[in-house]
Amino acid sequence: MRKAVGALTGALATIWLGQALAADSPKSLVEYRQAVMKSIGASTGAIGMIVKGEVSYTDQIPEHADAILEMSLLVPKIFPPNSTYDDYNKTDALPAIWKEPEKFKTAVEDFQKAAAHFAETAQGSDMDATTNAYLELGKTCGGCHKPFRHKE
Amino acid sequence: MRAFLGRLGLAAGLLLAGPAAAQDEDPVEHGKYLVHAAGCVACHTVPKSEKYLAGGVALKTPFGTFYTPNITPDEKTGLGTWSEAQFLEALKHGRAPDGSAYYPAFPYTSYSGMTDDDAKALFAYLKSVPAIEQANREHELDFPFGWRWLAGVWQSLFFEPRPFKADPDQSEAWNRGAYLVQDLGHCGECHTPRGWLGATEQDKALSGNPEGPEGKSVPNITPGKGGIGDWSESDIAWYLKTGFLPDGDYVGGAMVEVVTEGTSKLTDDDRRAIAEYLVSVPPLPTP
Repeated sequence: MRKAVGALTGALATIWLGQALAADSPKSLVEYRQAVMKSIGASTGAIGMIVKGEVSYTDQIPEHADAILEMSLLVPKIFPPNSTYDDYNKTDALPAIWKEPEKFKTAVEDFQKAAAHFAETAQGSDMDATTNAYLELGKTCGGCHKPFRHKE
Repeated sequence: MRAFLGRLGLAAGLLLAGPAAAQDEDPVEHGKYLVHAAGCVACHTVPKSEKYLAGGVALKTPFGTFYTPNITPDEKTGLGTWSEAQFLEALKHGRAPDGSAYYPAFPYTSYSGMTDDDAKALFAYLKSVPAIEQANREHELDFPFGWRWLAGVWQSLFFEPRPFKADPDQSEAWNRGAYLVQDLGHCGECHTPRGWLGATEQDKALSGNPEGPEGKSVPNITPGKGGIGDWSESDIAWYLKTGFLPDGDYVGGAMVEVVTEGTSKLTDDDRRAIAEYLVSVPPLPTP
C-alpha cells in the first residue's frame, strides 16, 4: 500500500512539476529556472522603483503586473525531477518541493491567483487597491520561498 | 535631501497608511502595536496556526533547540498568574518568577533597553488576548547547556541591563530608529555574530551572523562590505513593508515572519526611522 501511494505521489509530482527532461542537463534546467525566476524579480524590482518614487513611470505598473502573471504560469512546469540539489548543487530549490508536491502545488497556485488578482487590479486606477494586491502577491512569494527555497 | 523626502512622502501617500503609534493611546492598543515591533508574534506563534501567542515555535541554535513558551494569559500554562512586576523582571532582566535565569535565546538582552511604559503596555495587551491552554515544551539542548543554572552564570558574565539612551545630537527619528532596531526589534539577536558562549559581539554589531537560527547565515545589515551600503533609506523602508529587496527578490528564511508579522505592521514613520538609523550605523565587513 505504502509503495502504491509512493508511486502515485511520484506520478502526480511528475505531472505537476514537469516531465523529466532526460535530454536536458540538470545544470541547464536549473539555470533556466533561475532565469525565469529572475525575470519575475526584475518585474517586482521595477515595480518597487516606481512605487518608491525613484522613477515616475506610474502608468507602467500594469505591464509589469502582466509579465509577472505570464511568468507565474511557467513556474509549475520548471521543477522537473532531475533538477534537484543532488543533480546540480547550485540550486537553492529545497528537496521539499519533490517530497511534498501537493504542498508545493498549493503554494504555487496561491502565487498564480495573487498574480492574476494583482494584474487585474493594476488595470484600474485605484492605487490603494493596487498596492494592497501587490502586498498580497508578496506574501505568496514568501509562502513558497520560506518552505521551498534555501536562502540566508 | 528635501527632494528625496518629498518623493518619499509621495510614495508613502501611494502606500497604505499603517496603524498609528500615538503615545497617549490606551495601553492595550499601544501594546498591540508593540507585539509586532518587538517581534513577539513571529517567535511565540506557530506560523499559520490559530494558537496566537501560545508558543511552541522551535528555535534551532548551535546550542540545541529552544521551544518558545506560551505568553497568553492562561493561568495554568501561560502568564495568567503573573504580576506586572514579574513580567518586567522577565522581559528586561531575564528572570523568571521563580527566580531562575532565562537562556539568552529570549532576547531580554535587547529588551533591557525597553522603556517601562512600553513594557507595561505589552503586558496589558498580553493580558487581554484570548487565553490558550498549551503546556510549554521542554527545550532540547546539547550537553551541558541543559543545566539551567548555567544561564545564571552566563548572565553574570555577559549580561548587564542597558537602558536606552537617546543621542541628543541626532534627530528624533534617528533615535526612534535606534530604539526600534536595538531594543524593541532586537535585530542584533540574529544579525550580530555571537562568541563561543553565545554572547553577541557588540563591536561587530549588525554585521551578520554566519551561524544564525535554523543553521542559516544571517546577512550583514550595516553599510560595510557585504552589507546593504547600496540600499537607500526608501529601499529599506519598502523592504520592511513589503518584503521585496531592491533587486526585486523576496525576503527569505526566518526574516519572512519578521516582515509579515512584524515590520509590515509598523507605521511608515517607524519604518523610515529604522531606515534612517540603519544607514548611519558603523560600516562593518561581513565576519
